[in-house]
Amino acid sequence: MEKRIVFPGEQVAERPLRLEGCFAEDGKTYAAVVSVAQEDRVIPLKGRYLPNYGDYVVGIIKDERFSGYSVELNSPYEGQLSNRDTREEFHTGDIVLVKIMAVDEVNNAIVVEPRRLSEGEILEVESVKVPRIIGRNGSMLAILRQHTGTEIIVGKNGRIYLKGGNTTLATLAVLKICREAHTNGLTDRITSFLQQESKS
Amino acid sequence: MGSSANKPQLIVDGKRVSGRGFSDLRNLKITAGVLKKANGSAMIEWGKNRILAAVYGPREVFPKHMTDPRKALINARYVMAPFSSMEEHGRSGPNRRSIEISKVAKHVFENNVLVHMFPKTMININMDVLQSDGGTRVAAVTAASVALVDAGIPVRDLVQGVSIGKIEGTQVSDLDKDEDNYGESDMPAIVSLRTGEVLLYQMDGKLTRVEVDTALSMIFEGAKIVREKQVEALRAKYESNLSEARE
Repeated sequence: MEKRIVFPGEQVAERPLRLEGCFAEDGKTYAAVVSVAQEDRVIPLKGRYLPNYGDYVVGIIKDERFSGYSVELNSPYEGQLSNRDTREEFHTGDIVLVKIMAVDEVNNAIVVEPRRLSEGEILEVESVKVPRIIGRNGSMLAILRQHTGTEIIVGKNGRIYLKGGNTTLATLAVLKICREAHTNGLTDRITSFLQQESKS
Repeated sequence: MGSSANKPQLIVDGKRVSGRGFSDLRNLKITAGVLKKANGSAMIEWGKNRILAAVYGPREVFPKHMTDPRKALINARYVMAPFSSMEEHGRSGPNRRSIEISKVAKHVFENNVLVHMFPKTMININMDVLQSDGGTRVAAVTAASVALVDAGIPVRDLVQGVSIGKIEGTQVSDLDKDEDNYGESDMPAIVSLRTGEVLLYQMDGKLTRVEVDTALSMIFEGAKIVREKQVEALRAKYESNLSEARE
């Protein structure tokens, strides 16, 4: 079946399924956000990031307290970093890579293993495009790193940290991936784009 | 406002003053994603109406004590710009009329957005009427629905509406300002076509039971056209993602 774009309220399946960006009603499944549907696979084109157990995300220290820090996660919800989980000291505005250790029923997140990200650049993209930027087993990331020489850390929340190498080219490539996220043969196109651009 | 003394003729030679047939809608165009800083936005141009809808959130609730640990709060704000119509509106900001419309719009989206997915948050929906010519509440909610979808907020359906009125004894679709002011009755409604639910229903003036039934079926007919325009607006913004995939 062909890829098609579905809008909220459109039926995507004849039976109730638990799909991202969808809801089930009266034994059928309907789209809740603008998505690309192909048979039973539905990929949202837009959506806010919600903290998920095990995700690595790029956050910004929002507040310092006696017991720890709150971390802004490019999401409606923030993460809590306890002093017990880190010996490092942070300040408001610091950029950190953190791992989400626990999420409760109201989406409050406990984050651990902070790693300070300094002297780089931060790029914010749609969190739904992140799997494409990483590629299967990190193939896309490997290509980006290879052609630009940039250290790239992609947070699941859509924040991307870039440091060193040709960051301009890396940024352009990432934005291109986001624009063309739902096309086939994207890896090849990005490779040729990077080769072409790095020559000129 | 309309007084019967200077009432213009609303139906001439079996057609409305604007040249429309009884069930014709005015020209309608919606553009999605017109504002950069909002999470989602839409501009609706419906006849002479111009309304900008912007959606912010889900985000932290303000004031904080209003937080609901079970669902997201919806905050709707409908306002008319002071320069939006023929009469002076005085100071900008909400007045008694727009507070009422904000309230009913809020109830529409409380039943439309999947609020349980975002506990402890708030979604702000701003609808600003820049230019008005009757039927702004349905136009505003129609635009806001597109803005919500543009923001990536999960909803049960795209919602849309039309106002149906009675002028000189005839029921007509999509009243403009003169028809609203000098007509006998006005009935705006917002519906969900997927379920056939009515999410907003108001009435000004008098209609018989039979007329209300006719009006509702006219609303559902009009809503089909409006939904197409909504989808068109979203398609224009999101389809480019897919065009290359079809190669």
